[in-house]
Amino acid sequence: MLPLPRFAWQAPDTLHGLLDAAARPGARILAGGTDLLPSMKHRLHRPSLLVSARRLPELAAIYEDGDDLCIGAFATLRAVRRHPVVRAELPALADACATVATPTIQAMGTLGGNLCLDTRCAFYNQPEGWRQALGGCLKADGDVCHVARKGAGCYAAHSADTVPVLWLLGARARIAGRRGTREVPVSELYDGADGRRWLRLEPGEVLTHVLVPRRGAPVVHHKVRLRASIDYAALLVAVRREGSGARAVISAVGPAPVEVRAARAEELPDLAHARVKPLGTHVVSTAWRRHMVRVAVRRALDACPVP
Amino acid sequence: MSGAGHRGGGVTDFSTYLGPEDTLAGRPAEGGIVGRSGLASGTGKVDGPPKVTGAAVYTADLRLPRMAHAKLLRSPHAHARILAIDAAEALAMPGVLAVLTGADLPGRHGPIPVARDETALAVDKVRYRGEPVACVAAVDEATAREALARVRVDYEPLPAVFTLDEALDPGSPAIHEHLARKAARTGRSPNVLRRVHQSFGDPDAGFAEADLVMEESYFYPGSTHVPLEPHAALAAPEPGGRLRVWTSTQNPHSVHRTIAAVLGLDPAAVRLTKPEVGGGYGGKCDTFVTELCASALALRLGRPVRLALEREEVFYAHRGRHPTRMRVKMGLKADGRITALELEALANGGAYASYGVVTAYYLGVFGTLPYRLDHYRFTATRVYTNLPPCGPKRGHGAIQPRFAIELHLDRMAHALGLDPAEVRLRNAVEPNTVTVNGLRVTSVGLRECVERVVEASGYRDKRGRLGPGRGVGLAASAYMSGALHPTYANEGPHSMVQVKVDRSGRVTILSGTADIGQGSNHMLATVVAERLGIEPADCTVVEADTDLTPVDLGSYSSRVTFMAGNAALQAAERVRKRLVSAVSAELGCDPADLVLRGRRVFVRDEPDRGVDWRRAIALAEAEAGALGAMGSYRPPRIGNRFRRQSVGPSPAYSFTAQVAEVSVDLETGEVRVEHVWCAHDLGRVLHPEIAAGQIEGCVYMGVGEALLEEQAYRDGLLRAPSLLEYRVPTVHETPAIHPILVESHDPEGPFGAKEVGEGPQLGTVPAIAAAIHDATGAWLTAPPYTPDKVLAALRRRGVR
Amino acid sequence: MSDPTRPGGSPPEPPRSRGPGRGPASEVVASFLVNGEAVRALVPATRTLLEFLRDELGLTGTKHGCDLGDCGACTVLVDGVPRLACLTLVAELEGAAVTTVEGLAADGRLSPIQDALDRHGAAQCGYCTPGIAVNLTALLAEEPHPDDAAIREVLGSNICRCTGYTRILDAAREVAGGGQ
Repeated sequence: MLPLPRFAWQAPDTLHGLLDAAARPGARILAGGTDLLPSMKHRLHRPSLLVSARRLPELAAIYEDGDDLCIGAFATLRAVRRHPVVRAELPALADACATVATPTIQAMGTLGGNLCLDTRCAFYNQPEGWRQALGGCLKADGDVCHVARKGAGCYAAHSADTVPVLWLLGARARIAGRRGTREVPVSELYDGADGRRWLRLEPGEVLTHVLVPRRGAPVVHHKVRLRASIDYAALLVAVRREGSGARAVISAVGPAPVEVRAARAEELPDLAHARVKPLGTHVVSTAWRRHMVRVAVRRALDACPVP
Repeated sequence: MSGAGHRGGGVTDFSTYLGPEDTLAGRPAEGGIVGRSGLASGTGKVDGPPKVTGAAVYTADLRLPRMAHAKLLRSPHAHARILAIDAAEALAMPGVLAVLTGADLPGRHGPIPVARDETALAVDKVRYRGEPVACVAAVDEATAREALARVRVDYEPLPAVFTLDEALDPGSPAIHEHLARKAARTGRSPNVLRRVHQSFGDPDAGFAEADLVMEESYFYPGSTHVPLEPHAALAAPEPGGRLRVWTSTQNPHSVHRTIAAVLGLDPAAVRLTKPEVGGGYGGKCDTFVTELCASALALRLGRPVRLALEREEVFYAHRGRHPTRMRVKMGLKADGRITALELEALANGGAYASYGVVTAYYLGVFGTLPYRLDHYRFTATRVYTNLPPCGPKRGHGAIQPRFAIELHLDRMAHALGLDPAEVRLRNAVEPNTVTVNGLRVTSVGLRECVERVVEASGYRDKRGRLGPGRGVGLAASAYMSGALHPTYANEGPHSMVQVKVDRSGRVTILSGTADIGQGSNHMLATVVAERLGIEPADCTVVEADTDLTPVDLGSYSSRVTFMAGNAALQAAERVRKRLVSAVSAELGCDPADLVLRGRRVFVRDEPDRGVDWRRAIALAEAEAGALGAMGSYRPPRIGNRFRRQSVGPSPAYSFTAQVAEVSVDLETGEVRVEHVWCAHDLGRVLHPEIAAGQIEGCVYMGVGEALLEEQAYRDGLLRAPSLLEYRVPTVHETPAIHPILVESHDPEGPFGAKEVGEGPQLGTVPAIAAAIHDATGAWLTAPPYTPDKVLAALRRRGVR
Repeated sequence: MSDPTRPGGSPPEPPRSRGPGRGPASEVVASFLVNGEAVRALVPATRTLLEFLRDELGLTGTKHGCDLGDCGACTVLVDGVPRLACLTLVAELEGAAVTTVEGLAADGRLSPIQDALDRHGAAQCGYCTPGIAVNLTALLAEEPHPDDAAIREVLGSNICRCTGYTRILDAAREVAGGGQ
């Protein structure tokens, strides 16, 4: 079996304790562990401390908060997709949770973990010996990008199934740090410039809640993958109609999701296709993923009711 | 070389080792066990309960006191000379017990004696990325793994060979030095393991006779088995100098011999046991580094050593499907009769021979069946490249040419405006004939397979009529029920089985066979229980323990039901004779009148006149002592019709026809296989659920190869050594599979049975390819049919 | 979910304390139930449930298929919910109730889904079977008569390489249809 690299574990029972622990050097928050632990087994991460929120059940709670549904970051994807408010009012979020990996992974993985999911690449998410045979890559152990050798940085792809939907729903991330709490729109949580620094969290900050506005135009989630289970996205699309126009958020194509707006909804597929150019970060064909941008946006749009 | 007529054959061609009397072909199942549904009778297979409760013990489940753990250091280079290995730093680590390198185990081995080119760990050079170079033993797995990083290996990289064209180039760097010397003499490539050319009849005359001749190229990709259980071995020294080995293998006998040979031990000093095996599909036929290093380390350290592979390493162990480029030329009369066939196959075998010599033959030899051909020639070449070695995967060597030939036949039928099902029927081989390339064919259920699958699927109503994006396709095939000749020269039986009867009524069946999930244990219990009139559940099957069980050659070439089944039948028959003799003396009746059924021995038509099972045993013991018997099976000495016909012939062939129904998203290229109907002639149904399960498993594996799976490399580095990115079908990609069991009552199979574990896969991919054509008008000649490839083909046709 | 640690380089030495969990600990204590029996684990923080079950409790029915969460062979129930033992730290299990495949059969009798899997011939090599039996047990406990879509969705968590899932589906359908 693949031994985990050495680390200490801590499960504080106050938010204050959690933030203190998260601020220690080398600390990482352990949520569902479904991405972090495989990556640690592959020696992509070697945190010296894993900080568990298991003694803070309030961070896994889901409750109605005025016009928002407040989802604790440590709520499992299974709990989110089964929540009556999500099912009744935010079906696209339920759909997005239901496409993550497998039902068993959904019962372990959390919404916050999905929002903070590491960017992925066919040259990065590989066993240690495999990467060493290639001399590593920009994101791990090396100084070459195998996706774009002359590129400006790392192109590892944002692959979080729930993010395009949350983005279009206008969801906000509540982030706690030792200096206080802040809220940022999910749309401002990511930085597309480099797959190594895609997440705009300061050291020691912890995503604690996701606030999802309950009212608003419907959103449609569309995940492209070769198998209907297990697979990460080859392409992720969410769309929302607004008046005669529409917006799409497209992911699994670069370090951050890309938003595309069209004044006239029917132009959205072509605009998206012109704008979004997937790179060779996936084992799945790049040309086909590019083709699928237009098709997936159009199909999602077709499924999206006019508000 | 002139071909034998396909009809004449002559009675002498069918002289057999076992006559119908011995094999009970076509006889009613008097014991009521053969053919009985486990579902209807409320009983699962004999090894079912341990498997559903987690009690079944696989190799990695075993734990021994003081057990040490070993890990492998693997090559980062595709082709490199090993200049030096320094393990001092690793050995100095607390908890590290030993480090093995190639020099410790220099003995060359390989499953085929003419091509023993592999060592346990790389010696002098590495030949593929992922090849084992050193093995560290430590007190625990984590320490062993940590120590790998402290084994220093100096490499001098060498130019590498990856593709077929590179390997065929006479100027290509030699992967195996001994072939370089020969190549220097002949001016040919040093990387050809084997080239086989055979010609039968007069193919040129056959083509001249045809109304249509077509020639096309096909490519069948490499794929790997993905057994859910990673390879694992545990070895332990025993007092007195013997060695015990437990390993996850399909071929215990071959591994037993190989361990002894490589370690320089007397085979009698090695006891090899096969625990439960979590899937093989051909991928656990070879002897692996796990077995050799665990054994060597156990002897060196004087303590048990386990070496269990990680999932990633299973992809490097490989021995999967050979990526094969093919050219097919076929002549057809206007009525669909095949006048001649020519096949050229080039297979990329990777760094070592494995069963590659056999692969080269199989690629060509199986070109004829299931059809009657008068003129056939082939050239099949298997080359070395700097990739993980290919080997036998379900349908070994027959999958690729059958794909090409079936799809080609469909294309020609289409070109001639003929019904593809009719074309298959027109060309179907007849029972009791000899093919032009000398394969003796006995029972043939192909017609019934085609007719039933056409009927069940509604093929004739659906073909061309389902509308854009939906289609059906059909393919036929044949496969062997074991090889006529063993993998190493010997005159002994291919299978031996011992049946011993306890006074309690319990029957123990000892056999060297390897149940790898295909159900061979239950097959043995079924055959014995049927003949002795008891229940399979009354039998304990002891399998694959070289101290306990008589030799069986292993679970490969779909040989076990036919060969071990016959051996078990013979043993059971001998026990039955003893029982009948003693009971008839007791009852004062004619022995021929006795029936064994329902745990009783009684007079036919007089069920009350008889004795129960235990009484029968007591009578037999009283009459002639200990009750038990051995049985054995050796294939009939059919005789080779020409030189080099040692690879390919089988005592019996199974036949299959299948229809796939697909839908294709014309905008995205995504293919969905909705249904596969698969009719398979397995001679006789021994157990319907197990037989149907084999068909379902074959079709499943075919669907994976058709839609998703490819063992793909970039510069010799596997693209996806994980279950995340090497995509096997989940439940969602798996079609509704409709197995149809067809019985042709083989004259030599046990109760008339033939194979069912591999043959049903042969036609799955070409049936899907034909269905994609029906749905889209595009002939796709290179699976897997991933959406990018399908879309590109649709665009070429102007569909999109 | 703090800023990701950069891979590579040598990590700081973890503290060696063995606290009750509120402070950083490289060794942890966790008390929980396994198949109804109380277990007190004193293990390194890195210990996964899969390692613990197999190596320390000798419960080898839970299988190692990939160790990375892709195959489902190591599925167990934690408080009735399916989890992958290969991605579960023992440290996280304080107070939990773990059920493995060995805990499904009561009083030596096969559970309904085990019995159905057996009779339908759904176990060929048997290596995926424990994870599937556990997963279907959770489904049937929650919803005694799941429809086909629900059964298929759950089975999407488990790779079976032998059967084409056909007989597994048949077994699940039989149990799901029971009593209707």
